[in-house]
Amino acid sequence: MREATALSTPEERGWERILPPAIFLAVILLVWETAVRLFEMPAWLLPAPTRIFQRFLISNTLPYHTGLTLMEALTGFSLAAILGITISAGIVHSKFLERGVFPYIIVSNAIPIIAIIPLLTIWFGYGFLPKILIAAIISFFPIVTNTTRGLKSADPRIMDFVHSINATRWEVFSKVQFPSALPYIFAAFKIAASLSLVGAVVAEFYGADRGLGFLVITSATQLQTDLLFVSITVLALLGVSLFAIFGKLEKAFSRGEVEVERPR
Amino acid sequence: MLEPGLSPADSICISLQGVGVTYGTQRGPVEAIADISLDIGEGEFVALLGPTGCGKSTLLRVIGDLRAPTVGRVGVRAQPAYVARHQNQFGFVFQEPALLPWRSALKNVQLPLEVVDYPPEKRAERCLELLGRVGLLSFKDNLPHELSGGMKQRVAIVRALAWDPPILLMDEPFSALDELTRNQLQDDLLELWAQDKKTIVFVTHNISEAVYLADRIAVMSARPGRISCILQVDLPRPRAPEMRQDRDFLNHVVQAQEALRS
Repeated sequence: MREATALSTPEERGWERILPPAIFLAVILLVWETAVRLFEMPAWLLPAPTRIFQRFLISNTLPYHTGLTLMEALTGFSLAAILGITISAGIVHSKFLERGVFPYIIVSNAIPIIAIIPLLTIWFGYGFLPKILIAAIISFFPIVTNTTRGLKSADPRIMDFVHSINATRWEVFSKVQFPSALPYIFAAFKIAASLSLVGAVVAEFYGADRGLGFLVITSATQLQTDLLFVSITVLALLGVSLFAIFGKLEKAFSRGEVEVERPR
Repeated sequence: MLEPGLSPADSICISLQGVGVTYGTQRGPVEAIADISLDIGEGEFVALLGPTGCGKSTLLRVIGDLRAPTVGRVGVRAQPAYVARHQNQFGFVFQEPALLPWRSALKNVQLPLEVVDYPPEKRAERCLELLGRVGLLSFKDNLPHELSGGMKQRVAIVRALAWDPPILLMDEPFSALDELTRNQLQDDLLELWAQDKKTIVFVTHNISEAVYLADRIAVMSARPGRISCILQVDLPRPRAPEMRQDRDFLNHVVQAQEALRS
């Protein structure tokens, strides 16, 4: 995609980017629809795209479940962003804090998130809170590692300059380190936002009576495969939208600079 | 800037006494610079000339209190260097312009004014004046990546002058530029210096640059970095590009070359 942006003019870029995937989508849907009709597939096994779309149109609880899951994911994500950036700021200003905290940040990433859900449910019940916490925990790691890297990426010469004029820690942070880290932070947000959605949905699998995760589980157990497809599609669209929004922000904040590496 | 009754030579701005810096490395301590003693007068232009790796940048960082010397004393206007730094007496210019890429030329010059308690209502005016002095007024809103290497370095120089510090510490500021641009910036710097009469310590490995700019050249030898000799540059001021071909100028260059070799 980057290469295409560099090589083509803006007018042809829009078409060039949208047309090929649209063609592929149309072909896949067409083959799918024909195959289902031709082989008379039962709807519980593989519903036709048209049937899935009909289901999407008649489902009036869908916005409610979607909104709920999105709220859980974004609240968790915001918590992780605030906490992650604060901890990163602490880490770059204190070697002690870095040595003391970083091992646990690594460990937090190593624990399988699914294993924590029952524990959080014991503590906080079946409401929103455990879902929000799972979304927060899962998005915390990429945010804290990338922000730390970004804060440390500040040009050492500029750091020398601001030290030579006695800038306070806060001035160094707010005028040099934090702005230097912004492209890294948005790159992390891009990953973390989609992860938070995964976290919220997985948490809803385990004891919830609403939300897209609940919809996925119930439609699967009741063999309402068309509704299952609707839920999955909505989830995918949400993930892509979040990814795109933060991707745009990342680009906007790396004004004229060298492109930042993608976080892993 | 000068105390009444004192000529520039009488009043000492920077005083180095037995300064040495030793780095701890895995193979044991390495002496970067050793036994450096030098007095630099108020308003004097001193070049530190030496081969790459002779510790001249380290010495500059020690003067500016960006690092402490392992031994010896650094005095700036009869005070320890850290006091001078806390009073914002040093303006640093580095080899790379080191501008904030998200700030326009004007806002980059303004950065130190936001830090050193400069009256907010006078900041913009001061930055415009400085950019005007180096011919960049029409580029004030450009981001660094939209400027040429020479323009960026000009911005970096006036950024170091913004709050009018008495001492300018320059670490090979022109070595990354092509020769034409470098010559132009040398003349620009001399003009700025003639107007403001700052004390300038200028690190370079370029012999003719040192001769063209400085009042005195401290020639350094490597491993550990020491001052091997000090050359007085007796060329008239203001210096002009034509002087680069003068016999007098070339004599100085040869002298410095020999000093470097020995």
